[in-house]
Amino acid sequence: MPADLPLNGCDYLMLGFDYELRRHGYAGNSCQIRFTLERAISVATLRQRVELLVNRYPILRARPGGWFKTQWKPLTDAKAFPQIRIHVEQSGLVERLCDEPLSVRDGELFRFDLIERSGGGMDVVFTWTHALMDAPSAEHFLAVVGREDVALPAITSVPPRPKKPLKERLLLARKNVEQLTEFCKAAPRTVGVRFPTAPKTQRYHVEKFSVEETARVRANGVKLCGALGDAQFHAAVAAMELHRLHERVGHPSPSYVLPIPVSFRPKGTVEPLFSNQVAMLMVQFLPEQLGTTSSAVGVLKTQLAQALRERRIDAGVAITELSRGMPFPLYLYVLKHHGLKGEICSFFYGDTANVTPLLTNFCGATITDFAHVGATTPSPGIGAIFYYFARAMRVTVFHLETHFSRSEAAEFAANLRKRLLEP
Amino acid sequence: MIAAAEIETKLIDFLKREVFAPDVAVTPETDLVAAGFDSMSLVRMLVFIETDYGFWIPESEITGDALQNVRTLAETIARLLNAR
Repeated sequence: MPADLPLNGCDYLMLGFDYELRRHGYAGNSCQIRFTLERAISVATLRQRVELLVNRYPILRARPGGWFKTQWKPLTDAKAFPQIRIHVEQSGLVERLCDEPLSVRDGELFRFDLIERSGGGMDVVFTWTHALMDAPSAEHFLAVVGREDVALPAITSVPPRPKKPLKERLLLARKNVEQLTEFCKAAPRTVGVRFPTAPKTQRYHVEKFSVEETARVRANGVKLCGALGDAQFHAAVAAMELHRLHERVGHPSPSYVLPIPVSFRPKGTVEPLFSNQVAMLMVQFLPEQLGTTSSAVGVLKTQLAQALRERRIDAGVAITELSRGMPFPLYLYVLKHHGLKGEICSFFYGDTANVTPLLTNFCGATITDFAHVGATTPSPGIGAIFYYFARAMRVTVFHLETHFSRSEAAEFAANLRKRLLEP
Repeated sequence: MIAAAEIETKLIDFLKREVFAPDVAVTPETDLVAAGFDSMSLVRMLVFIETDYGFWIPESEITGDALQNVRTLAETIARLLNAR
């Protein structure tokens, strides 16, 4: 029986959210990638590849266990997982798969759903629990599953980071609390405050840009934010359109808080580390700062630089690491009473940049399309992920139907697109 | 006068320590973006330069050419510093 595997602070946080969302009847804290293959693949081949990896990496067939020191506990008898299911294309199937939970507590950490398309070809929906890995890891994991020529990764869990002294970690963690207190001077108010009574339907829409349009958006990003400024440009535009959306639905907010995900995975590390390696930097926009794209960009850039001067990434890591010292039930209590009230952030924002170039084919079939589907977001109920596939930009806008109607979300996506092209 | 070579050494130390994985070889010629350097790495580096040299590189100087590798970046910083 393989030894228990530790969770890092981020994994712990992700797992906590998963439990709490599930308790409220949501699908849990899971993510999805959906991609299209030019032709159908053999289920047996895929199953063989998955089994090979599961046997090699015990963390892939494990369940979280232990209340006071939660760890991945590898299972030897959960042969029911991971599931590889095959479906025939039908109306409503993709939506159903989007809302279907994983049985994380029983050891179901990921799942493949293959959908045979009526016109030939196949869609693959890969669902995984966010505590197992982050989105860039999931992309690489898919490459390892789908391509025999991609070497199996040597690293299966993250080497522990050197711990800072407790006093320093406490001081860093306090910075986060102070920042939230500062934000509360113009406290954000999200549509997601209706969370407890919301039905559980999450929907998404992928806004696709041509290669030419992508070049235009990139040029706009460079013009407003300098080289490598794409992500900042996307975040600023998202904040502007979010403000407009809130005004349209008659729910304006005194401010909008965006969590900017920051990967603390060392650059140049490409292997799927079965762990979540993302900290959040929170930035706040006041409505008057969202008048023009350049003013929104300016506010964002100033706050990011200030956040780094004040070591807020370290502060975020300190918070997540310290949270591990808390008994899990207490942690869930804190999440329930403070974390899921719909008042922390106004939008779920992700920017995963280029999809790994290894994902050109899967089990021998060419990948013709690719989409990230957002994590379940009961609060604030809306989010967007920006990424590039085959040199073309994609933006997945996802929302809960109770918080925003399908037409409101579609309008948001269309306006986002328009502003990215014409800021 | 501050020599570009001196800045180059400091930048490489910083990048090895704070940005890249230990097994990534960072040399003056390393293509930063190809090695995984991203927008947040850039902001971190700008803060490092501000802390060490007391100035923030203006946006107009953060070009694709300047970010090509550590050498071009060090040359840009040296030029800006010596012009002050």
